[in-house]
Amino acid sequence: MEEIVSSARKLGVESIAAGFTRSHDRMVRFSNNSITVTNSWETESPTVYLMSGGKRAACKIEEQNPNELKRVIEGLVNTMKVTPAGDTVFELPQGPFKYQAIPGLYDKKLAEAETELVDAVETSINASKKEGASRVSGVVISHAWERYVLTSERAEGSDRGTEIEMTVRAFVTEDASGQGISLGTSLDQFDPEEAGRTAGRIARMAQNPEAGRPGRYKVVFGPTVLANLLNRVGDSASAYTVDLGLSFFRDMVKNKVASDALTMYDDSRLPNGPGSIAMDDEGYPTQQINLIENGRLETYLHTSYTAAKFKAKLTGSAKFEAGMAGMIPAARNLVLEGGDRTLEDLFDMAQDGLYITNNWYTRFQNYQTGDFSTICRDGIFEIKDGKLTRPVKGLRLSDNMIRILQSVKALSEERQWIRWWEVDIPTLTPYALVEGVGITTANK
Amino acid sequence: MEELARFAVNHSLSLGAEYAEARVQRNLGNTYTLKNGSAEPVTVTRKLGLGTRVIVDGAMGFASTNNLNRDSIKIATESAVRTAKASKRLFGSPIRLSEEKMSDARWEAKMKIDFREIPPEQKFEVLFTIEKSLAQENVGVKLPSRILLFDEDLAEKSYVNSEGSRLYGFIPRLSLLFILTCEEPGKGTMQRIRHEAQSRGWEVIDYWNIEKIALNDAKMLGKMLREGVAPPKGEVDMILGSEVTGIICHESCGHPQEADRILGREAAQAGESYIKPGMLGQRIGSEHVTVIDDPTLPNSYGFYQYDDEGVKAHPRTLIKEGIITELLHNRETAAELQVSSNAASRSSAYDREPIIRMANTYMKPEDHSLEELVEGVGYGVYMKSFMEWNIDDRRYNQRYVGLESYLIENGEISTPIRNPVLEITTPGLYGSVDAVGKELEFSAATCGKGDPMQGAPVWTGGPPIRVRKIRLGGGMSEPA
Repeated sequence: MEEIVSSARKLGVESIAAGFTRSHDRMVRFSNNSITVTNSWETESPTVYLMSGGKRAACKIEEQNPNELKRVIEGLVNTMKVTPAGDTVFELPQGPFKYQAIPGLYDKKLAEAETELVDAVETSINASKKEGASRVSGVVISHAWERYVLTSERAEGSDRGTEIEMTVRAFVTEDASGQGISLGTSLDQFDPEEAGRTAGRIARMAQNPEAGRPGRYKVVFGPTVLANLLNRVGDSASAYTVDLGLSFFRDMVKNKVASDALTMYDDSRLPNGPGSIAMDDEGYPTQQINLIENGRLETYLHTSYTAAKFKAKLTGSAKFEAGMAGMIPAARNLVLEGGDRTLEDLFDMAQDGLYITNNWYTRFQNYQTGDFSTICRDGIFEIKDGKLTRPVKGLRLSDNMIRILQSVKALSEERQWIRWWEVDIPTLTPYALVEGVGITTANK
Repeated sequence: MEELARFAVNHSLSLGAEYAEARVQRNLGNTYTLKNGSAEPVTVTRKLGLGTRVIVDGAMGFASTNNLNRDSIKIATESAVRTAKASKRLFGSPIRLSEEKMSDARWEAKMKIDFREIPPEQKFEVLFTIEKSLAQENVGVKLPSRILLFDEDLAEKSYVNSEGSRLYGFIPRLSLLFILTCEEPGKGTMQRIRHEAQSRGWEVIDYWNIEKIALNDAKMLGKMLREGVAPPKGEVDMILGSEVTGIICHESCGHPQEADRILGREAAQAGESYIKPGMLGQRIGSEHVTVIDDPTLPNSYGFYQYDDEGVKAHPRTLIKEGIITELLHNRETAAELQVSSNAASRSSAYDREPIIRMANTYMKPEDHSLEELVEGVGYGVYMKSFMEWNIDDRRYNQRYVGLESYLIENGEISTPIRNPVLEITTPGLYGSVDAVGKELEFSAATCGKGDPMQGAPVWTGGPPIRVRKIRLGGGMSEPA
């Protein structure tokens, strides 16, 4: 890394942020109560972000050939010479910095786990079947990583961590299914039995669903649904998406964007946080960032580029992303503060409404206005007189993100970590009661 | 590359694997972006590594490494074999692969002009030309946000398996993506995402006529914003444009006919399917509906000649005249359902296992011009393009929200309408098609599936089609 930074400097580049990640990942996938495939990945990848006179370039080289890395950097430096100027001149964060270690990010047992993943699959399948599931599918993924960041501005640091994530989907019949999730940074926090039990229980409750009816409902969202929607909140709070015109929080900092009940932060320093890191990819120390406080949007997330453009403070949110911009601001651990209610309280407050346990395929008609829809998936239940009654199916949530955020009436005290195929950013979230949620169905 | 792949296969066999395959794959990617007229970072990605898949005692394991020395390849193959063995106690029936003709071939998508030879400033010039065409004086509307992205990807792969297949493939792909936001005082904003992409060289730039495409999209947004009225309520007939027909074929024909979904392999992620193996031969649509998935279309974004299990590609007819005729298979699902693979197994990079994917999915054209389709509608809606869409995980209940859309009155296209919602079941939609146009057009897309996610380049396409007696969703529902 030192050689990369010094050689890029010699080529005339003003500022360089170099990163190196080594990861070891394992996955076991299963369906119909049987394992279908095991996966194992060993990857080393350097990343380089270059900046000169407001011009930027970036590369990710997943190829272990130092000459190729050198060639690519030389090519990028030449490209920068003919690249049109960017819109903002900025500096990378000036180091050196002291990084404080975050407890609970690395578990040696998890880093070496192999047969434990197969055991977890068996445990989850058995737990689901015990609840009444006939077919159980899912995935368990372990991730061990170490990273090193070095910048031309004397920021230098390294950290490492482990994660384990499991999704279990249980079926009693074809249209009666449920999902359970377990997520943690150590085997001690990991509970495949509970993930299997949750999936099986929801599937059992969802048997014999009837067609749901369109309308506006009071809806209790399970943590998986809320995490999916809050990921869009996290994306929209990135100054990058604001800058692209793809955020429903455009021009809304210090404005009310949600109900008073909603306080949310992105905490990259959370102990045991699945997305926690000590320094961002520009070498700036990470911190807890209050995104929404009692319904008011407090800030966007920033890199040094967006902070300069928006005249804002750094938030330690820089994340290297190969593709459009190289370095973008991104949330790492989204945390929604819990309320003081039980799940039963939320049903009682709703009186008549719906309880939605899962969703997928969230798509926007307009990213700026926040008009979107998403498909309700797995157990959906009617609430009558404050109690869960019959399961329903065939519903789509069709609404507006800001309207949903502003209609949150109450939150549960209980919270759960969520990440799965449809939720990229690890999210710690309670259950929520939201009023007036638009629900649509197929017309033919 | 081939020597390393062969080394991995031989090592796996020596460890007791009954089947082994290995693929050394290199992907080179460069991205050039203009954001509101100023340059975003040029980004470069390089991926080179080896992925290997084995069957040991009937259990399947995959492993990859991007360290191509022999010790690392040994570690990867040992990992694939060891983890497969460890999982054997929870495997169901032993995995079998269908018997296929083995292939020894080199194939490529040709570049007349190699895009690697084009200097970066010329690539930016293309984007600046589009940017200039989007100036307010040209399009007559304010576009406060304009993202123009030019992406080039080059995949090179060497594949061998323990049954004697030996393949080398080379695919260059060029993409152009626009994201335009149009704003009109008092009318709000509208957004358009357009993706053009092909598997060919720099010569595609002249073919695309991208200035015109961008100009037309921008003018369309302005017209929709300024003149768009609420969509009609009640039952109407609809004309769906090529872009909408294409996404429909992809989402509610291609996906549900992927055999891995049907057998439950994707249940915890992309979901299952309303189609069961016994539904082959069953009617799902009118006699006008024929849907084809063809990887061999020249220059197509989803082009390939051999899949990533070494099976030669050919067109697949998924629905013929309304009847479900064929599923998309890899060798594993083909063996399970006792048919041959139809070469649908694809992997996006060295570190991803091959899974069943679509290539270029489209509805077969018939004989109507657009005018003839419209003439047959007394009162209805023409949904030419869309923005929001989704479908449930059994591929039964789908929604498309129109972007460029118009009323049809007395057989003529009339007033623009805003955001008409088509929310309908798969048989409800295919069963309502009463006429199909003759002009076949394609759109590019990146299809997401797999865990970890694999983005697969695809085309979606078709002609305009006419569907009868549709009740539009038309925005928010009233209180229950």
